[in-house]
Amino acid sequence: MTDAMPIDFTAITAPLRAVVETNVGTTRPRWNVLQQVLAAFDEAEVLQRLASARTSWLLARTHAGYFDHFPSPAVPRSYRVVATDGSVIHPDRHTPLRYYVLNVGYAILQYGAICEALLDVETQLCANDEELYVTDRSRRVPVAGAVLGIRRAVAELEAAVRLVSNDISLSTLAILDGTLILWGLEGLPDFVVSWGLKPFLAALAAFREKRVPVAGFISFPGSSDVYNVLRVAVCDYPLHGLPVNCDHCRARIVTEGHRPACDQLPDIPDRELFEKALALQPGERSQVFQSSSRVLDHYPPEDRIVFFYLHTGTEVARVEVPAWVAADQEMLDFVHGVLVDQCNRARGYPLALQEAHEQAVIHAEERETLLTMIEQLLAEHGMLLRESAKQRSKRGRYA
Amino acid sequence: MPEAERQRWGEIVSTSTIGFISECEELHCIPPLGSLVLVHGVQGERIFAVVAYGETSSIDPGRRIIRRGRQGLSDAALYEQNPELKHILRSLFHAVAVGYEANGVIHHVLPSLPPPLHYSVEVATSDDVVQFTARPRYFSILAHYTGEVPTDQLLVAHIRYVFDARGRDRVWLEQAAREIARVFKQDYDRLLPLLESLDPDAP
Repeated sequence: MTDAMPIDFTAITAPLRAVVETNVGTTRPRWNVLQQVLAAFDEAEVLQRLASARTSWLLARTHAGYFDHFPSPAVPRSYRVVATDGSVIHPDRHTPLRYYVLNVGYAILQYGAICEALLDVETQLCANDEELYVTDRSRRVPVAGAVLGIRRAVAELEAAVRLVSNDISLSTLAILDGTLILWGLEGLPDFVVSWGLKPFLAALAAFREKRVPVAGFISFPGSSDVYNVLRVAVCDYPLHGLPVNCDHCRARIVTEGHRPACDQLPDIPDRELFEKALALQPGERSQVFQSSSRVLDHYPPEDRIVFFYLHTGTEVARVEVPAWVAADQEMLDFVHGVLVDQCNRARGYPLALQEAHEQAVIHAEERETLLTMIEQLLAEHGMLLRESAKQRSKRGRYA
Repeated sequence: MPEAERQRWGEIVSTSTIGFISECEELHCIPPLGSLVLVHGVQGERIFAVVAYGETSSIDPGRRIIRRGRQGLSDAALYEQNPELKHILRSLFHAVAVGYEANGVIHHVLPSLPPPLHYSVEVATSDDVVQFTARPRYFSILAHYTGEVPTDQLLVAHIRYVFDARGRDRVWLEQAAREIARVFKQDYDRLLPLLESLDPDAP
């Protein structure tokens, strides 16, 4: 074992202890407040507040009971699940070539009288201009970073549509890893938004036309849409006859040293709210909520994404589906039942997604192999790949 | 069904002068310990090898095997209900090269070249076994092989396999026993238990 330079732990131990103590000290009383707020929750009053609330946070909306639990329906005896997961080899600035590689892994699992599995991957090299740039007359945006993330999400959804066969004899659920709300588009220029949305929405519509439900599964979700509704519930602005206005309130913290009423609540994400405070049980799901994300304004109403929380046995996950799926009780129950069964098979995470991920994952050796291939192909034409000095110093570390 | 397809049990995934590792066509379908398999070499020869080890494990070494069974679901039914298992697991066997046949002549020495990767491995037919083992002068190759399975166990498994494949040929068994005695003549403590294990009439 080499003698690496350690960080100076003695310098941070005491401050770390202080942070933990402060955190624990403030959290416990806040949880008591949370329990009181939940007990006193007046849905009619809160819905009224929501109607006029001005907040930059996302608020979950529903017409029926916010904190209702729904037990797992019976698992369908036979069903098919199609899962896709994508990974990317990003553009490498160390090579003179412009490209990225999209790798979409998929798993089709069928259960019932005959059980079958199909695991494979579709790899695509994207190297021509239409794939490398999003253009709009005078402007050109490279497909990289967040934009590449959108491209990947589109590829996963399109692959899932292709893999869902037209065989209607077996009920099918398509599952994707991650959200169906294209958050990444927020803040991007309009022409990029259209570029991303067009194929994505077309694929969503295709699922609706085939009457095949599609769900986005988010493990360890960080969202607080439902929790933010509790903030609205405890807000003191309505007590003064004012609508809830978070921007105004937050601004007063700086100008007046004001302490927002909702600071008395613990700062927790929805998954903790449902698991710990609301005691969602394994297999149960929450109410279905509408998201207030602005990106959804671009979606047709039937395809607008709604979500619920699901206890998978080991965690509370967030499941997103298009509105038309949730509107059909039988279909919603099918999605719920299949997800519970899939999670039971793989210790709390849908088995099909796990297998799709395994197919998609790109190992370090494979990235190296790709670079080696490029080096060799270039060498055939007498071109040598020049590494940057920084890259060379990382490959061969010396003292 | 063509001969080759009927007998193909695996494909070579690792190869060397002393033997090879083969991935089985079907999960769990591993040729028995001590049995004879053969594969074609680059020069047209047929290389004979003795199966020395078998295992079933995850295709991706990074993925651990975890319990999949639950109440009411175990063994063969478990595999039926988990269709992805046959895609993420594989069975392998190791085989030790003990000779080859070229132009109709059997040679009980190591082949000069290892068989190529990805070539098919077949299980030897009874005729192949009878022909190759007519004069069992290759036991010393097996005796000097060190692998996962103790060499003596491997030898006993192989001799018993050949004895059965030759229709319980006692004349051959005596020949085999004499050959074992010759190989282990310096090691009486090892030789006796070996011979006892080979006795077809022992309980």
